[in-house]
Amino acid sequence: MRRLGFLLAIAVVIVVAIVAFRSTRADALDKNGCLTCHSNPGLSTTTKAGAKVSLFVNEALINTAAHRYIDCTTCHSADPHKVATPLTKLSLAEKCGSCHQYEYEQHLNSIHGQQLAQGNPDVATCVDCHSPTANPHNVIRVLEYNAPTYKKNISETCAKCHDNQQLMANYGIVEKVYESYMRSFHGKAMQLGTYEITQLDKATCTNCHGVHDIKSVADPAAPVAGLDNLAKTCEQCHPGAGVEFAKGFLGHKEASPDNIPAAHYTENVFRVLLISVLTFGALVVSAAVVRYSINRWRD
Amino acid sequence: MATLTESIALEGAWQEKVTRFDVQQIIQHAGLMVSFILLVLTGLPQKFHELAISQWWTGLLGGIEVTRSIHHFAAWLIVLVCLYHLVYIAYSTLVQKRPFPVKMIPGRHDFITLYQEIKYFLGITRERPRFDRFNWREKFDYWAIFWGMPVMGISGFILMYPVEATHLLPGWVVPAALIAHSDEAMLALTWIFLVHIFFNHFSPGIFPLNTSIFTGKVSKERYQREHPLEYERLSGGQEGIK
Repeated sequence: MRRLGFLLAIAVVIVVAIVAFRSTRADALDKNGCLTCHSNPGLSTTTKAGAKVSLFVNEALINTAAHRYIDCTTCHSADPHKVATPLTKLSLAEKCGSCHQYEYEQHLNSIHGQQLAQGNPDVATCVDCHSPTANPHNVIRVLEYNAPTYKKNISETCAKCHDNQQLMANYGIVEKVYESYMRSFHGKAMQLGTYEITQLDKATCTNCHGVHDIKSVADPAAPVAGLDNLAKTCEQCHPGAGVEFAKGFLGHKEASPDNIPAAHYTENVFRVLLISVLTFGALVVSAAVVRYSINRWRD
Repeated sequence: MATLTESIALEGAWQEKVTRFDVQQIIQHAGLMVSFILLVLTGLPQKFHELAISQWWTGLLGGIEVTRSIHHFAAWLIVLVCLYHLVYIAYSTLVQKRPFPVKMIPGRHDFITLYQEIKYFLGITRERPRFDRFNWREKFDYWAIFWGMPVMGISGFILMYPVEATHLLPGWVVPAALIAHSDEAMLALTWIFLVHIFFNHFSPGIFPLNTSIFTGKVSKERYQREHPLEYERLSGGQEGIK
């Protein structure tokens, strides 16, 4: 009886604990009740120019966003309805930079930031990489597995723009950087690794090209510009690599008579060998299968 | 028509086993088989990394690091088996003064039997070629490994130690090694599973498993059927094949 009572007591504790801690809902901080209106998907306004702008803020997304405990007015000013500044990518980055000063400074000096300052709307700024929907309300912290900047997801995030051949053609980037990365040792290892952080010590785009301070490959200061810089970049993970090791990099291109010809000719030789030997094998086996079948049918 | 007792006696005689492989050769084949299968199971997902099944299988093994470790372990094992084979040949000929295994060396006879066998398969002749100790297919398998092992071994060790390799060799060896390793692997794998397994295990009279390479023994009946020239030479001189 005492034993039963003890078990019952444990059961009650467990049930109470489940009920008490069941709610996993984390509400975003909303001191002024902005979401009362702005959680309505139909809410929109029309600018003086006549463009319709949605004023909807997705509550489900903002409840799990990195800045969920920072009140709306921190970014939107104390009296947001009075603010009429048209939002641009640059003003967005400036806003992030009011807290994230170091990253903002680096970003402004990067190839993306320099273009941004010139008013180029193509380039990536903070939210393009830090939010899956390029929405400042939905920035996800780097170490969350669904963050576009989580190590395993970085190549796909870069690919959103850099795998767009038409867009890249405007900047003279003809290499299929995403495809060639995924074919490479690093890409394979990244793809075969799980989401566990311990499996993600592989190089992705940012390991060689930089993060907030990313530079154009044409910039002599870029970590991948010239064999000497490239070798130093390799050495971050491959101690003692050196220039000769860096020379083995295909440069996001396929091997060809102009690009590591030895690899190109190796490929040709082995293709011929593979095709001829296997064709011979397949023919002999097919002939044998036919003969053995006929033999069996005759018996 | 033989009587029942006679036929049983005859059957018994036919079922008598002849030793075809010694214990060293059995170990060499087993070592080669185990390491080859391990290499295939851990190499294929690395080649076909974009397939969902590769990602699932790698995850099951414990991730890419474990998969690569198994691949490297099996690589050392297969190198060891091949060195064992070379030492075995050297020891048996130089120390034990056994004759050099000349029957494994390809010659005119192999091209003739290949031609005869293809004629037989195509139905041009009803006569099967008469093989010696090793038929052309067995020799092809053997020498394919002799070609394949250095290619796979050298390219594999370049990929295993790329930094050290480029200290001694030019940088292009790394991408070239990857191509050679990948293509030669597909060649070996397809040949083994298509041709070797078919002729040595799935052929009539053998299916489903040819135990001779695992036990070292073959029945007299099969030996005479598959290697008539060798059988005649062995049984012609004296009774009891060794």
